Amino acid sequence: MRTALIASLIVLASCSAGSARGTAALTDDFGDMIVVGSAPERIVSLNPTTTEIAFALGWGRRLVGRTHWDVYPPEAKLVTDLGSGIRPNVEAVIGARPDLVLLYASSDNRPAAARLRAAGIRTLSLKVDRIADFHRAVRLMGLVSGDTAKAAAVSDSVARTLTRVRKETAALPKPTVFWHIWDAPLITIGHGSYLDELITIAGGANVYGDMSAPSPTVGIEDVLRRNPQYIIAGAEGAAKIKGDPRWSTLAAVKAGRVLVVDTSLVGRPSTRLGEAAVALASLLHPGAVH
Amino acid sequence: MTPAMPGARARSPVIQFDNVVVRYAGAAQPALDGVSFDVMAGGMTAVAGPNGSGKSTLVRALLRRQRLERGRIEVLGENLEHLSQRQVAQRVAIAPQREDAAFPMRVDEYVSLGRFPRLGLWASPSSADRAAVERALGRAGVSEFAHRRTDELSGGEWQRVRIARTLAQEGEALVLDEPTTFLDMPHEMSLFELLHSLARDGLAVLIVSHQLNLLARFADTIVLLNRGNVVAIGNPAEVMRAQLLESVYDWPLVVTHDPASGAPALLPLRRPASVS
Amino acid sequence: MVHKGWHWLGAVAVFAAVCIAAVAAGAVPIPVSEVMRAVAGRGDASVVAIVRNLRLPRVVLSALIGAGLGMSGGALQGTLRNGLAEPYLLGVSGGAAVGAVIAFSIGIADAGWISLAAFAGAAAAVVLALLVARAAGRGGRGDPRTLLMAGVVIGAFANAVIMISLANASPNIIRGALWWMMGSAGDATWPAVAVLAVSVVAGGAALVYLARDIDVLALGEESAAALGVNVDRAARGIYLLSALLAASTVAAAGLVGFVGLIVPHIVRSAGVRQHRPLLVGTALVGATLVVAADLAARTIRPPAELPLGAVTAILGVPFFLAQLRKTA
Repeated sequence: MRTALIASLIVLASCSAGSARGTAALTDDFGDMIVVGSAPERIVSLNPTTTEIAFALGWGRRLVGRTHWDVYPPEAKLVTDLGSGIRPNVEAVIGARPDLVLLYASSDNRPAAARLRAAGIRTLSLKVDRIADFHRAVRLMGLVSGDTAKAAAVSDSVARTLTRVRKETAALPKPTVFWHIWDAPLITIGHGSYLDELITIAGGANVYGDMSAPSPTVGIEDVLRRNPQYIIAGAEGAAKIKGDPRWSTLAAVKAGRVLVVDTSLVGRPSTRLGEAAVALASLLHPGAVH
Repeated sequence: MTPAMPGARARSPVIQFDNVVVRYAGAAQPALDGVSFDVMAGGMTAVAGPNGSGKSTLVRALLRRQRLERGRIEVLGENLEHLSQRQVAQRVAIAPQREDAAFPMRVDEYVSLGRFPRLGLWASPSSADRAAVERALGRAGVSEFAHRRTDELSGGEWQRVRIARTLAQEGEALVLDEPTTFLDMPHEMSLFELLHSLARDGLAVLIVSHQLNLLARFADTIVLLNRGNVVAIGNPAEVMRAQLLESVYDWPLVVTHDPASGAPALLPLRRPASVS
Repeated sequence: MVHKGWHWLGAVAVFAAVCIAAVAAGAVPIPVSEVMRAVAGRGDASVVAIVRNLRLPRVVLSALIGAGLGMSGGALQGTLRNGLAEPYLLGVSGGAAVGAVIAFSIGIADAGWISLAAFAGAAAAVVLALLVARAAGRGGRGDPRTLLMAGVVIGAFANAVIMISLANASPNIIRGALWWMMGSAGDATWPAVAVLAVSVVAGGAALVYLARDIDVLALGEESAAALGVNVDRAARGIYLLSALLAASTVAAAGLVGFVGLIVPHIVRSAGVRQHRPLLVGTALVGATLVVAADLAARTIRPPAELPLGAVTAILGVPFFLAQLRKTA
């Protein structure tokens, strides 16, 4: 609720700034300026999060390119696969003749952003690491295309679900959680990740919430030392953990408290954040959330 | 097969080369083209000839590093091909032309490697082995170096140590390929004295060398090779004749007689480079 | 002779101390007094679990890796008469990495299958290197330089295959492959330890048996033949055994460099020349080194773990500096 309010204030502020000058302009997460101008007709989305948002905003038929890993919603598979979203094949992107490109704002993509802008294509580079980033991405995409009402609806819907889940778990005791992302090396989530926020919203406490990086690498003994009450993992990861004698030294594994999540649901901070929070809360506090 | 040598007693040779033909892969001419001669016990047989005449190939053939295209080599009456590498090493002790231990070791450790062909399966040296090593060190005159490291020896000392190792093998024949390279005159002479005395002790000494004058003083038999063929066998006086040597070495020379020893001595003449 | 005995005693004592320290230390420190009890299965159940399921397999695996690599390096340096020879020479590292990377690329994530793929890759590379060397040799079969060059050729080819496989791979595959290539004893489980133990013990015993041949081969091929060694057969046997040891360690833990290169020098600098005691020494010193490296890898930068290969790579610097001073 509060996030939506702040976001709308920012939008109003930038709108008024723009109208003072005659045209609206935004600054994206690379610090580049984008002119709002006319609605884009050919859009390339090089990021699973923005692809999902694009479909939610009804841009399905205007999408002319996606990355290899954007497979949600199912209709996304019909869009042309342009390969990687990190260090994309700029020529292939330009070849799709887009008038708007959505990039993931990692430093690896700065050269690609520069080349696309030099080719005269509107490029919106967005960070999507935390939940606030999601709301901002939705708002900016709405602004650029003039679909501000639709964008607000998408953003608000997610915000409402998250607030509800947070309220429903507020009074419950917060079990400690370890999220197993990857095996070799052992990767988990830290404070910089939306998954850490989701855990908090769902009524849990991330044992690595004290680490600021989004995906820190840790050692199994350190996990043992922090002694989480629950372990969350994808199906493959959970199977590995349950079958591995090293993991059996953890209390959570011995007590059978290894929770399996659908990795495609929680894999990105996108339009299904609300559902993800509900799923997590149901695992941690069965019956408390609907 | 082999010409009768003056003064030879009727006894079987320790090593016999019988019509040996060796050809290197892809070569038009064989390196050894029907070489036959005997190496008898109790004497020093020398193989001499210009570069490329096949001298080192003979040693490689004995080491079985080179296959024979035709012919046979027999050691103590047995065909080389029917013996294992170990059995050959127990009968014939060979010191190849070049050898430097990549990792230096003590002289006595190095000489005891000569016992390797006789060691058992788990290869631990016995007291008999140690005694043999002591004898070898003494015979080669290097007992006092026993604790020195091989990389601390001078050229002459190193060659003697190598001979000690071959003696430790306790074979009936000793084969040395160019043992006096890089040695100065005193060391050359004392090395040949040692080899001569070993031959007198009963060993069959086969030495490959290009230094005809030294061979003339010490060898009982000289086998002169040229382009893989034996062009002469006999005692030094028989082999070292000016006309023969000139045609083999393709260089003007005279053969004189060293007044002190009575042995023939080869003296190459100067041939100023022709202006073309 | 007496002071040699002290050397051995000292080496064994250091090894034992390092192993105990490695079992005791970690994110959950265990007092040394409890370590021995926990190994025997007595004491607090969770401590026993940590020691038996986490620490001990890792320590034993590290020791086996160090022993295998040390012996492989020692045997190769003697046979090739070159102090810079090391276990990964004959294309082992390249081939193993190709096997592992290809397995990762087609989506295999199970450690056991990756190990198998790595071992198969290493075996293929060694066979290829030997064939290339034989085809290139001019009848001086097994000439060390030809073999070394063949290993370089195979290694270059392997690098190309790895780069092509990873160029357009997903981040997950790249991360997994890279982590594997940097080496780690972290996946140690008792079954993996058992497999490696069979290899190292059998291969090591065979090498120790052949050690007298290596003494003689170290004199040069002609001299070795003169002393009764069937040079080609002996050399080939030693190459294959050394490659087997190296490939088994790579299959178990990825690429752990410099151990096989450095450990023989350490043992030789203590005055050991003959290869029988040398190989036993390299096994002991190598085991000590890798157990210590693994300990460092998991305690230097908590909570993360450094790759084992990164820690051993740091050792390369002082080693090469020392070599430089020796030759200068």
